[in-house]
Amino acid sequence: MTAAAAFHTAADSVAPKAPAGSGVTFDRVSVAYRGAVVLKPLTMTVAAGEILAMIGPSGSGKTTALRAVAGFVRPASGRIYIGGTDATDLPPCERGLAMVVQNYALFPHMRVSENVAFGLKARGAGRDLIARRVEESLRIVGMSQYSRRFPRELSGGQQQRVAIARALAVRPRVLLLDEPLSALDAQIRRAMVEEVARLHADLPDLTILYVTHDQSEALTLADRIAILKDGELSAIGRTGELYHRPPNRFAAEFLGRANLLPVVVEGKARDHGFVGVRIGDAKVVVSGDDHPAGSRRLMCVRPQNLTLTGDAERSNSIEAELREIHWQGELTHLVAAIGESILRVVATRLPNPPARGDRLSFFFSPSDANLIVEEAGV
Amino acid sequence: MSDAVALAPRAAKVDLAGWWIAPPLIVLALLFLYPLTLIARAALIDDSGGLNLAAAFEVLDSRAFLDALLNTAEIAVASTAGCVVLGLTLGLILAFAPFPGAGLVARIVDTFIALPTFLVTLAFTFLYGSAGILNGALTSGLGLDHPPVDFLYSAWGVVLAEVTVYTPFVLRPLLAAFSLVDRSQIEVASLLGARPLRIVRQVILPAALPAIVAGGSLCLLLTVNEFGIVLFIGAKGVITLPLLIYDKAIQESDYQAACAIAMVNVALSLGLFGLYRFAARRLGG
Amino acid sequence: MLVWSLSGRVLVWSFAALILGVIFVAPLAVIMLASVSQQWNGILPTGFTLEHYRDAAGGAERDAVFASLVTGFVASLLALVTGAWAALALRARAGRWGDALGVLFFIPSAVPSVSVGLGLLVAFSQKPLLLNGTTAIVFVAHYVLISAFAFGNISAGLSRLAPDYEEVASCLGARPGYKLMHVTLPLIAPYLVASFGLSFALSMGELGATVMVYPPGWVTMPVAIFGLTDRGDIFTGAALTMILVVTTLILLLGLERAPIRSAAPR
Repeated sequence: MTAAAAFHTAADSVAPKAPAGSGVTFDRVSVAYRGAVVLKPLTMTVAAGEILAMIGPSGSGKTTALRAVAGFVRPASGRIYIGGTDATDLPPCERGLAMVVQNYALFPHMRVSENVAFGLKARGAGRDLIARRVEESLRIVGMSQYSRRFPRELSGGQQQRVAIARALAVRPRVLLLDEPLSALDAQIRRAMVEEVARLHADLPDLTILYVTHDQSEALTLADRIAILKDGELSAIGRTGELYHRPPNRFAAEFLGRANLLPVVVEGKARDHGFVGVRIGDAKVVVSGDDHPAGSRRLMCVRPQNLTLTGDAERSNSIEAELREIHWQGELTHLVAAIGESILRVVATRLPNPPARGDRLSFFFSPSDANLIVEEAGV
Repeated sequence: MSDAVALAPRAAKVDLAGWWIAPPLIVLALLFLYPLTLIARAALIDDSGGLNLAAAFEVLDSRAFLDALLNTAEIAVASTAGCVVLGLTLGLILAFAPFPGAGLVARIVDTFIALPTFLVTLAFTFLYGSAGILNGALTSGLGLDHPPVDFLYSAWGVVLAEVTVYTPFVLRPLLAAFSLVDRSQIEVASLLGARPLRIVRQVILPAALPAIVAGGSLCLLLTVNEFGIVLFIGAKGVITLPLLIYDKAIQESDYQAACAIAMVNVALSLGLFGLYRFAARRLGG
Repeated sequence: MLVWSLSGRVLVWSFAALILGVIFVAPLAVIMLASVSQQWNGILPTGFTLEHYRDAAGGAERDAVFASLVTGFVASLLALVTGAWAALALRARAGRWGDALGVLFFIPSAVPSVSVGLGLLVAFSQKPLLLNGTTAIVFVAHYVLISAFAFGNISAGLSRLAPDYEEVASCLGARPGYKLMHVTLPLIAPYLVASFGLSFALSMGELGATVMVYPPGWVTMPVAIFGLTDRGDIFTGAALTMILVVTTLILLLGLERAPIRSAAPR
């Protein structure tokens, strides 16, 4: 996938004419396996043309939800709508989807071009259409020159591109990606994430349901992210929103690293949408509203949003004792203590490195901190 | 032609997936289970159509049947023991003291599984028969009048032939089990000063026990069922259950007796099969 | 790695060579030698000849080779079809019933072949299915005995097939029949071929059930070999045995190496 030009010419011809409403709706879908509930009633919608990433630790039910859309597991209750129609009782082959899986699952007995043609042939498409679509799909992923090869003659990254081409060729209503990059090594994975992002930029109507356990893939690619935990939807929202204002502790810690410090609400701040809180003796201002004075909250602030120098914007400061300092080339990781709590800081430039035991002031902007209602028992 | 590939949604069909097993099951029932039930019927029901156990009991109480049962059990147990000892010895050498070409040898031994069992008996006639190589060498070498080796036409000949034929059935699972034994464990044990026999006893054998039990019980099953070897050796005194069934049915045309004996033989085999499944599942899982 | 000293290794290896030589190599070698011997009364045969192979190439022995090949082919083909069918159908049926049925398909391999022959003789000597005295009953006997091996081999192959391939196929729109023909069967083709080879080899050596049911005019190789040795014609018997062994090995090794591009690992 080298020439960006190939994308643009290809996009004109291949962009799927999204069938009216090519989104997916889960309507109270639950799945049980051998008597155990693996997915609790889930209600959410993947809008047409968006990338929704489902993330969560293993066993969180994210793959089960994807397999329910594909039709490989039958919901114990609830309905699944694909493109506005009820698909709950349809067999997988009639759902108009395509899927890319972790180990690529390219058919080893077929050449690359036959692999890409598979879905169209299975649906009884004409020869001309097949030839055109195979050519277009391979061009989109930059694999045109490999069409006569067998999968075993390709590298992992190349195989995954063919798998994506195979899925695109049928112009699926929804593209299901099940940990598609997990089998690749880190460097190729980063490159592939960027390529998938470009692919979606060129095929803006393609709806993608993307399952991953890797939060950085989700942050890079997704329009929206759904976080699952223990078979339950823990949080869902637009990617930036979810990252900057995680609604709960799990979302904050699973999506990137976060400092969660216990605070007591003082009252509304002068500016609208901000509240004043107290951490030990320090008073700071954070974004948020509807938090009654005197209530206990967790303040969430990302490690990279804390600095050692203040300015007009970074008007909050808290004092902490430096416990550890790790220099890692471009970044320096600091671990400091505020009372019982640990504060992690990532600094990019550090002209005068502090020493262990120093008491330091850390600065952050009110808009980079928000409050989380502490869940009971967490 | 439209660019959109047809995707007409259809109503869910009645789930027939479970019934796909029916055709092969019917074939199995007609060609295998039905004949088995007819064996029981022929053994237990007389010409008038009534239940008649007397005839069956008479057969099962006869000298010939009891001798055959005893012979079968003795030969099967002795052969299985031989197979386990030989398979273990060869397996240990092939896996832990491999020589150049050990892999090839393992493969050749493996193909023995697919060769007809009577082949060995025929070869033994040339090797250990009264006019065979061994006796030829001994008579001419020692100037004897009579061939000194005559174990071939006895139960021992059958046992030796069965050991040859069925050792691969023990060796195969053993080699698979040995390949899973952690090599570094053995190396650590030798560095700590353990002698080879001690390593075999304390490290290797416990790991290979499931394979030994599974291979051994399979051997027991196959040796109870063995027919070709016993038929080819054709020793007067060595009659096993399968051979007795053949004699009754084909030589004497006494089908009722044959069926009564076959019932016992099948029951014995199914019991051993159950034992083998149990061992393979319980220990091998 | 258990025996470190050179002398110890040499000792162990000579021991292994002795056992392997006496038990596995000697029988095959001796039959090969006998099949080309003129006379064998002493330690070694006197004079070599291809006469026994000439005998085996004509008349009754040639008919036996033909009967065995046809029987093996027909029975193995049937076993391949029903074995694959049963294995595929049972794969979709997990749970207790599926397991129990799986065991049922294995049982023919546990029942003594003579009893299988006897059962067929009893069952098909009467109406409505009168097969006794026909070649069909030989095919059936061989089929029953090898069906369990075919089923087992194909089941093992299917269990090693990762579900991803078929799931991706049906997600892309392949209906069950299309998926079976274009994905599942090609992916397990190596196991199908190996299973056919093993079935054929086992059929070629089958004796117990065949002696119970064979009609005059359809004498398979093992039965012919028994007849020859029983009459004392052990040299022609040895030649026919060699033909049987070589055919079996060609089937086993040849089909194992068949140029099939596939085998999808889990």
